[in-house]
Amino acid sequence: MDKAFNRTSVVLMFVFPAFLVFSLFVVVTVFWAASYSVYDWNGMGEKTFVGFKNYLTLLQVDRNFWTSVKNTLFYTVWQILLQVFGGLLIAIFLTRVIRFRATLQTMYYIPVVISTVAITQIFGKLLSVTPPGVVNSLLALINPDWRYLEWVSNPRMSLFIVAFVEGYKYIGLYMIIFYAALVGVPEELGEAATIDGANLFQQYMHIKIPYIRPVIIANIVLVLNGSLRSFDFSYLLTRGGPGNSSELMATYMYKQAFSSLKYGYGSAVAILIVITCLIIGSVFRRLSRDSQEVI
Amino acid sequence: MKRKLSLALVIVLVLSILAGCGSTATQATAGETQAPAQTTAAVTSAADTGDRAKISVMLRGSETSSAYKVWSSLLDGFIAEKGYDLDVEYELLPNDGDYANKLQLYISSNQLPDIFGAANGTFSSAAKAIGSLVCVQDEMTKLGNFDQMNPAVADFFADADDGKVWLFPESFNDEFFFYRKDIFAKYNLNAPTNWDEFLQVCDTLKKNGEIPVVIAGAEQWQIMRYLSFIPWRVTHDKFIMNYIGGQDKFSANAAAQKGVNLVKTMGEKGYWQPSFTSTNYTDAVNMFFGGQGTILYSGSWLVSNASEMYKNGQLGLFPVPDAPGLENMTTNIPIHGGFATAFNAQTYDKVMQEFFAYATEHYGNAAYEAGMLSPFSEPIPDTMDPLYKEVRALADQSTAGWVSWDDKLDAATLVAMADAQQQLALGMIDEQEFITQMDSQIKGQ
Repeated sequence: MDKAFNRTSVVLMFVFPAFLVFSLFVVVTVFWAASYSVYDWNGMGEKTFVGFKNYLTLLQVDRNFWTSVKNTLFYTVWQILLQVFGGLLIAIFLTRVIRFRATLQTMYYIPVVISTVAITQIFGKLLSVTPPGVVNSLLALINPDWRYLEWVSNPRMSLFIVAFVEGYKYIGLYMIIFYAALVGVPEELGEAATIDGANLFQQYMHIKIPYIRPVIIANIVLVLNGSLRSFDFSYLLTRGGPGNSSELMATYMYKQAFSSLKYGYGSAVAILIVITCLIIGSVFRRLSRDSQEVI
Repeated sequence: MKRKLSLALVIVLVLSILAGCGSTATQATAGETQAPAQTTAAVTSAADTGDRAKISVMLRGSETSSAYKVWSSLLDGFIAEKGYDLDVEYELLPNDGDYANKLQLYISSNQLPDIFGAANGTFSSAAKAIGSLVCVQDEMTKLGNFDQMNPAVADFFADADDGKVWLFPESFNDEFFFYRKDIFAKYNLNAPTNWDEFLQVCDTLKKNGEIPVVIAGAEQWQIMRYLSFIPWRVTHDKFIMNYIGGQDKFSANAAAQKGVNLVKTMGEKGYWQPSFTSTNYTDAVNMFFGGQGTILYSGSWLVSNASEMYKNGQLGLFPVPDAPGLENMTTNIPIHGGFATAFNAQTYDKVMQEFFAYATEHYGNAAYEAGMLSPFSEPIPDTMDPLYKEVRALADQSTAGWVSWDDKLDAATLVAMADAQQQLALGMIDEQEFITQMDSQIKGQ
């Protein structure tokens, strides 16, 4: 049986379907977008070849693009803090709780299964100013002036709010992964540390968290990848606004391609997103591998 | 044994892949065969008998929207009157962006439905360029009823290239400011006649803790109205058409600069309600007619919402104020025909021609039944709210149509302007930055 699976033809037979689907729906479309990116095309009529003009305009002239890059990087950092480290904290908390653990796990996980559209609608209503939503109505009980506190319509707050809502939705997912990893840490390690005089905090900092380090890195890579391409929360909650205060690279790509009808320019943004994901992903993997070797 | 096992594995995998591909291929083939067959049947039938199996309609809106009510009533009436065995296939898209994407897709693939909604601008030009637009003016002239179309509505739909009307107007809309007479009286204010007075009124209201103006800032056209009021009063369509054509720019046009200053002042001084950039149109209307806010810019389509407050003497109307220090045109009530409807020239067979004639004859009544003012000259029925007559009378002296920047601008400039006007109103950029951005944007286009 083992030998059968070692044969190249059999391995290829298993790999080929996934390779074919991935190539068709990911690799081909990336190259397709790359080919569009050297044209000026509004989706109707003839395409005009413009070479690298779209890229040069994006990189040299388009300040809104750079705002979206800055916002995306900031957004990604927030997502890692919220989803990975927030999820880890909740998982640690759950490992310490004995009563109602399953209920709490379910409650934390519920947002994961609610659709993004529903979540953004809920938060849109909760944080509404006109008419006042639940949050502002409650705040107005403390101070009447707070009835008009702006959240998604405040350019200084909108990106935080979008990041918070996405973090709220996915924190439960990473909590479950971390919880599974933490309960898999051998109990003997903790017991040995206790005998050596380590307190609870030291046990987590020096034994349990280092033990699940590969899981943490895997989760960071997942969140990194998802956040750099994040689209739905910003688009549904703020449409990248007000102005371009919560514009992410993916929403900017959509806006250029499908609202501004600049398919070539939008494709150039898409290719830069792919390149950014590849660079940041590679750098992170290299850094995490190097630190692993040091340890 | 091992060889047999690996062979069996390979066979199972190949069979499963073939089964999956086979079923997909079968479905695709069936679909592909079916679609052309339907098309051929329809074309053959229409060509041979002058009849067809269905009429396809794509509208921006839902089943509760006025456009659907009017066109469905007309199509039902037409089919019943002629006794045709026709199906009507509706495609309704309530979201503006989705509608624009779908329309663009149909234009690109040259598969527009028989009847479709389109604004007078980029999309109507694109549909015209591929020969998919019936010239409404020519058809109505042939039928002898083009002169019944309101001249300002006709002006609103005049094509930028040939000046002809290629689109069927949805309604007669005039726009104006609703204001709360009771709140104005409380602070001894009069309806403003120029923009300086308007800002003074806003200032007084703000200082007294009122919300001066309600606006649906989440909708790009609402802030854009304030940007375009002064250029419209001073230049009608000259500024925007010359801006699009590259012969004028914000930095060189005093009226356009005053428009930019107006948006900046309204936003900066807090004359619009808190969180105005996230207020959608429905919320803004509900807010104003629910008793919050003092002034709302809207139009004749809100008569049913305004009726009760108007009867109670709480509500007044005033036109677009003059731009002080500049020469203003006489027309101060923006008139337009709403989101128009187009007839596809490529499928404009005998049945569609008959329907066009039927629609022009019955459109007025259908519009009134749907609660809209007719774009044609039929008198307003006595059964309608008397306020309709008053808002229609406001525009009696108007000859020049409204010029919607959001219809005229190309998609890329429109998106850029929508973002920049929000930034301007929120103080994220100043007037000079806005002007620089917009001038370089149109230059790039």
